[in-house]
Amino acid sequence: MGRWWAVALSEAVHGDKALAVTCEGEQLAVFRDGKGAVFALEDRCPHRRVPLSPGPVKPGGLQCPYHGWTFDGATGLCNDIPNLRRDERVPARYAARAFPAAEANGFIHVWRGAGTPAAVLPGAWYRAAGREQTGSAVANIAFDQYLDVMLDGPECLLSFPGVHITDFFLGDPRRDGEHLVLDRGAVWKGKGNGPAFVRDHSLWVRTRVPVRGGDIRVELLSAEEDPLVTIFIAASENRRGTTSLVWRGFLHAMAAPLPWRWRTARAIGRAPFAIFPHIDGAAVAALEVAPSRDRRLAKTDTRMPAERVVPVQERCAV
Amino acid sequence: MSEVPMMDAAGREAEATSKRDWVPVNLDLRDTWFPVAYSADIGERAVRRIVHAQDVYLWRDGGRLYAAEFRPDRLEAMRAGASAFTNGSGFYPAVERYGYIWAWYGNPDNVHEELIPNIPFLPPDGQGIPRYTQRAVRFDAASPLSVENLIDLTHADFLHANAIGDGQSENDVVEVHSTSETVTRIRNVTRKSVAPVMRWIGGVRAQYQDLRAVLHVHLRNNVCISYPNFTPGYPIPNVQPFVPVGKHRSRVDQTNYTVHAPAPFRWLMPRISYVIQPQDNSVLRPQNARYFESTERRDLSSRFDGPGNRYRLLMMRLAERQQRGDFGYGADADPSADISAVLGMRG
Ligand code: FES
Ligand SMILES: [Fe+2]
Repeated sequence: MGRWWAVALSEAVHGDKALAVTCEGEQLAVFRDGKGAVFALEDRCPHRRVPLSPGPVKPGGLQCPYHGWTFDGATGLCNDIPNLRRDERVPARYAARAFPAAEANGFIHVWRGAGTPAAVLPGAWYRAAGREQTGSAVANIAFDQYLDVMLDGPECLLSFPGVHITDFFLGDPRRDGEHLVLDRGAVWKGKGNGPAFVRDHSLWVRTRVPVRGGDIRVELLSAEEDPLVTIFIAASENRRGTTSLVWRGFLHAMAAPLPWRWRTARAIGRAPFAIFPHIDGAAVAALEVAPSRDRRLAKTDTRMPAERVVPVQERCAV
Repeated sequence: MSEVPMMDAAGREAEATSKRDWVPVNLDLRDTWFPVAYSADIGERAVRRIVHAQDVYLWRDGGRLYAAEFRPDRLEAMRAGASAFTNGSGFYPAVERYGYIWAWYGNPDNVHEELIPNIPFLPPDGQGIPRYTQRAVRFDAASPLSVENLIDLTHADFLHANAIGDGQSENDVVEVHSTSETVTRIRNVTRKSVAPVMRWIGGVRAQYQDLRAVLHVHLRNNVCISYPNFTPGYPIPNVQPFVPVGKHRSRVDQTNYTVHAPAPFRWLMPRISYVIQPQDNSVLRPQNARYFESTERRDLSSRFDGPGNRYRLLMMRLAERQQRGDFGYGADADPSADISAVLGMRG
């Protein structure tokens, strides 16, 4: 069965240019037609195998930069070969590989694999309710490792300025449908005696990592578990053991009392989080494999014991 | 409207004869001469060139030319490791002609000077070929894929649109001829708008000109001989030998023989490859990598790929023949035969 992958930010695809992205290790060309609808084609011309993404978008679809064959975004069908005579027609079987594409909440999604595209998109839950910060990167770490490290040591992959993410995670990951959810303690930097001596953590970092697929949710929560920052990171396998990342995140409007340093940094427009494109190999290598064991198990075991599949909301009070 | 066959006979035959698509990156054709260097580039210091991932060291000593498998200073020590390409001697057969050093690639027992391709517009002894006509360029693809790019006319309007002009003309006809060792593509264009470069610095004041362009390709060594002739105007004959460096790269020591064109066109024209060639490389590089992938999905073709598909078919036939151990030249093949009539040279 196939699945949806968020492969690009909505705003990254515009005009008469296609965007080259890599999803599940395969190169795709994503583009819009004149009406703004999004399409995804394999980034490989069936004529002579040249990447399509550098070509211009024409009314008939994406035009290959090498000889100008043009491919319809929805079907992949070739609808123009330049210089044909009026009475000549492109053979019906001439086509590039097309993938269903859909857009929601600032992400462009591509359906890959068998089956009818599912109704719900991985980015569907995301709604920015505050100042947004977006980005994309190719991280120097393999895709499966990226997901595992997001459970074992998210501080290797991202940061919240002014916040120290501890490696004290709470219990085992909870299974929530196709995801594993894990909370870990965090503290404000420069307060108290350091994270090892706090009696209770003043913050939580909650990571929600998929067993399959690439949609990750990361939240910075107050001690009362009210969200301060919410991030959606869409990851997918890129080439040569790297990982494609696109993300959107936002700062919640908070009534709770927050350190003045955090408030000032936000007030002057400093980003409330950072996603690392360059990952520290030594830090990742030093991580013990811990909660990610459950992810690896869940990947091989298609059937989770029913009692462990508990909706997150019911388990919030830790 | 009916669906017309999109492939010519050669294209269909290529599809029918082989279950898989062609793999240009693995063609290693032997018993042929490669123009591995300009004669003028080789002096007493040894220069290293590569043919099919194999070293060819070139140098002169006491007025003699040497082409060897090893550097001169290591030759004695390494000679025991010499290959069958030099019959264990370490030295390749080498000949100078048309301003090039030609090295034999194959079984030295089969070497014949008559197998060096005829280039009728270049002086055989190489005397008087100006250096400005000689430009070395590198292609980021195996030689056959680079040759296919040269044979392919339809990409110029897209990939080279800014350099070559609008491609508007009254009539544009392409024919292909072939032997077991060569492909010849002849293009006849009538009343095309004069290329800007010819108008501004080439002394052609007319608005329209006719073009007869002949491209003659030797399959084994990828020596491509072009004779584009413009009326009004002049011919701009050129040689582009795609020496296979390996499965991913080729090197071309080209001779753009513009000596009969007016100045400054004469000097500037050979430099156009510095504009065109990076454009070609931008498609060749990813293309080449993808020809290593599974060949289950065959390339689709249009009738404009007729010459290219003919080339693919003949290359596959030659490769199959060599796989069977047949390295001989057929009765229809004589590389040294005078091709001035084939090229349509005047006078
Ligand atoms: S390679 Fe795309 S049109 Fe030829
Ligand atoms: Fe070209």
